[in-house]
Amino acid sequence: MKRLWALAHNTFREAVRDRVLYSILFFAIGVIVLSLALQEITVGDRDKVVRSVALGSIAAFGSVISMFLGISLVWKEVERKTVYTILSKPISRWMFVLGKYVGMMMTLAVQIAVMVAVYTLLLTIQQSVPPPVVYISAILLFVELMLLTSWATLFSTYSAPTTAAAFTLAVFLIGHLADDIWLYGSAMESEGAQHVAKLLYWVLPNFEMFNIRSHAVHELPIPWEQFSGAIAYGFCYTGAVLAVAMMVFERRDLK
Amino acid sequence: MTAAIRTEKLGKIYRVGFFMRRVEGLRDLDLEVQPGEAFGFIGPNGAGKTTTIKILMGLHAATSGSAEIFGTPVGEASARRRVGFLPERPYFYEHLTAREVLHFYGQLFEMESKHRKDRVEMLLERVQLERFADVTLAKYSKGMLQRVGLCQALLHDPDLIVLDEPMSGLDPVGRALVRDLILEQREAGKTVFFSSHILSDVEAICDQVAILVEGQLRGCGTLQEVIADRESLEAVLVGEMSKVVDETRLGVL
Repeated sequence: MKRLWALAHNTFREAVRDRVLYSILFFAIGVIVLSLALQEITVGDRDKVVRSVALGSIAAFGSVISMFLGISLVWKEVERKTVYTILSKPISRWMFVLGKYVGMMMTLAVQIAVMVAVYTLLLTIQQSVPPPVVYISAILLFVELMLLTSWATLFSTYSAPTTAAAFTLAVFLIGHLADDIWLYGSAMESEGAQHVAKLLYWVLPNFEMFNIRSHAVHELPIPWEQFSGAIAYGFCYTGAVLAVAMMVFERRDLK
Repeated sequence: MTAAIRTEKLGKIYRVGFFMRRVEGLRDLDLEVQPGEAFGFIGPNGAGKTTTIKILMGLHAATSGSAEIFGTPVGEASARRRVGFLPERPYFYEHLTAREVLHFYGQLFEMESKHRKDRVEMLLERVQLERFADVTLAKYSKGMLQRVGLCQALLHDPDLIVLDEPMSGLDPVGRALVRDLILEQREAGKTVFFSSHILSDVEAICDQVAILVEGQLRGCGTLQEVIADRESLEAVLVGEMSKVVDETRLGVL
């Protein structure tokens, strides 16, 4: 456990010393601040517009950070050969992948927390404390990013960042269209096509499970079953993808 | 007594290029290194020295045969618990300082905090890096990085030290420092296994030598046994390389 923590802490430390990350975070905070300015030029329900833009920004920038860090998570270690001095110690490869992943999630957790804190602070100053559903939405966003990062980690175990970025982006887009795959599949006449659509729906990740931003914008309650179901789905799916990433990395010869 | 390193019929085949061409990196290597020995592993570029070391360190998987460290198969992470390894041209996290990176490696061995701190400070002083211990590694020269590499290899006071070309690219002062450190470890009863191109260093340090050419073991034994009636270790190595070239030409291999 101590070794896993050491790997995770080092990954976190490396990420927080990366200036590019600060640029993305700075830009994200800029957009959140801008969303508050939007209420001055908005006709109608101003609070909803602010919530919608701010939550959308947090989700978008969280996804960018997740992909940006995840696609080179393992690859960079192999390419820069820093992995030599780590795996020559009593560290299993699965532990290395898991440690890197946990460190990455610590980084993302801090990023999301900073963005949500800035949003809360600005909203509290201008209007009132945001409703609890906003924070539930942020928790589910984090679980979504856990799953997205696990895919990026899987791709980074065997491919260069450009290829991994293309694959991760494809998973991200497909994951947000999963419900549409189901709907189009159900509407098809061919039984075979229906089966293929259903198979794709169940195999590919469904990121819309975690998207309750419209509930947060309209201050609608989230059923407990929906929340817990999404959490369980996210953790199980992430575990499965990480297990594949570990198996892939286990078989690699490190050049 | 359990051997520090034992390999049996160890082989490695690489698949390279689009058509997955077969390239033999190592063939049927039988090697035994006893505890307390200083063992020199010599051969020309591409002989398979680094391949062997990578298999021992769990960085590559062998295609055939087996390898053990203190009786534990190299595929198990626990086999590396008593091993310190310095790769050829070590690479570290450039955002960390020498002190930070050594503490990080110490944590990977689950070293107790106080003990780890003592060892880090002692080793930094030993390799004369204490003045630069809080400078990020991005600003270090090659020789300084090599010294950090030696520190991380010796950090947990391992019983077996594996060094891949530890003198390569070092200036005379750096080479002398590395040579002294290896000799200190040998005096302390540790097993030292190292590959090198610099044969004078091998002759000065090692009790046992193995010669590897084209992935095959061409000689192994004490320095006197290997040199036998020839002039020097260099003459033996050049002779073995010529033999391999001749055998290849005759189609014996």
